[in-house]
Amino acid sequence: MTELLEKISSCVEYGKVDINSPYPPAMKGQEGAFELTRQALDAGINPGEILEEALIPAMSRVGQKFSRNEIFVPQMLMAAKAMNSSMIHIRPYYLSGQTKRRGTFIIGTVTGDLHDIGKNLVAMMIEGAGWEVLDLGVDVSTEKYILAAEENPGAVIGLSALLTTTMENMRKTVAILKEKFPETKILVGGAPVTAEFCERIKADFYSPDPQGAVDYLKTIA
Amino acid sequence: MGYEPGTAPEPVTLLIGEISEELMTIGESRAEYRIFDGISLDTARKTIGIGGIVFNVRPIIFRQLKDADAVALFICTAGPLIGEMSRKCMQEGDLLKGYVYDVIGSEIVENAADRMQEDIRETALSAGKKITNRFSPGYCGWDVAEQHTLFTFFRNNFCGITLTESALMNPVKSVSGIIGIGAGVRFAPYQCNMCDDKNCIYRNRKTKV
Repeated sequence: MTELLEKISSCVEYGKVDINSPYPPAMKGQEGAFELTRQALDAGINPGEILEEALIPAMSRVGQKFSRNEIFVPQMLMAAKAMNSSMIHIRPYYLSGQTKRRGTFIIGTVTGDLHDIGKNLVAMMIEGAGWEVLDLGVDVSTEKYILAAEENPGAVIGLSALLTTTMENMRKTVAILKEKFPETKILVGGAPVTAEFCERIKADFYSPDPQGAVDYLKTIA
Repeated sequence: MGYEPGTAPEPVTLLIGEISEELMTIGESRAEYRIFDGISLDTARKTIGIGGIVFNVRPIIFRQLKDADAVALFICTAGPLIGEMSRKCMQEGDLLKGYVYDVIGSEIVENAADRMQEDIRETALSAGKKITNRFSPGYCGWDVAEQHTLFTFFRNNFCGITLTESALMNPVKSVSGIIGIGAGVRFAPYQCNMCDDKNCIYRNRKTKV
């Protein structure tokens, strides 16, 4: 059982999606996260255990290596793809209520800004940490965030901006969200955003990298 | 992407090869520049004036341009296709391929800007002058909103670049900016140490001469 979970974890960490994926070369021809997750479920391993013992630790290691510049964006994306192949088998258990998420995270790039790579990276790392992620996309109006927050009580909200001009839109959105949902935690990020800016606009947390956001979420859920 | 030469994982190198080959035949890059003599430099305010229009380039860029007696303003684009392909892949869930399109798009526009810069350098050289590095609104402290002012110097839609209200260029793989020209200016082969923005996505990028 433990060996199977370790194998799944290793597949996710190194981006081994399924038996057909040629990467990493050392695992060529071997079963990947997709097949091994199915096997684990068929062997009676609880989906929550797969998540907690294999997927979340793997994505956590990926996030930490990224923070230390030991791996780069493509390897994070490959790990996320492997995790998604595993999640194909696990998602139905969420829908049936057999397995619980840690919470809901609403994310989007603020109005006027079309950049999405950083936002996508944060979204996939947070999903990999066991959260349900509601990705609102780019150029997201304040009204869209409000609607999503109303539909998902207790959700945490993440806002991304890559331009100094759209940081102003971030400030306005945070102010309105905080007024309407004072208890809601709001995370901000993006290349020009800083901890000082986060404090000034009264958001709850800023991180320069995805792992920081994951670590913060662990402290609140 | 951050990898040392020869260390990128196989799927990345394969995708780079595949996408580069695909884009080889497209050739949508365009650039336009205009050279302005008789500029006014305000050392106290760190501004540069061109025919009554003032750019507040802030101290880091002003330091590099202060000895210029002319400037070139430029816009340059890799065209709309690369950005569209990147977005399509992302939307379809192929984030890695979308990311590789995005990175190659950035390389293409920077290469086009290098060629344009070389043209400006040769023009300056023929007049016994040198050029500075190129600087863009949104970097090194220069407010990205001044891109609106910069665009007023160009023929409407020549390169097909439009600006959103938030000064985002469309196509996304475009650059605009300023280059100083003069006998006393200096080109820095490595420019990140001029700037204090530790989160800049271009930090540590080597600048071509």
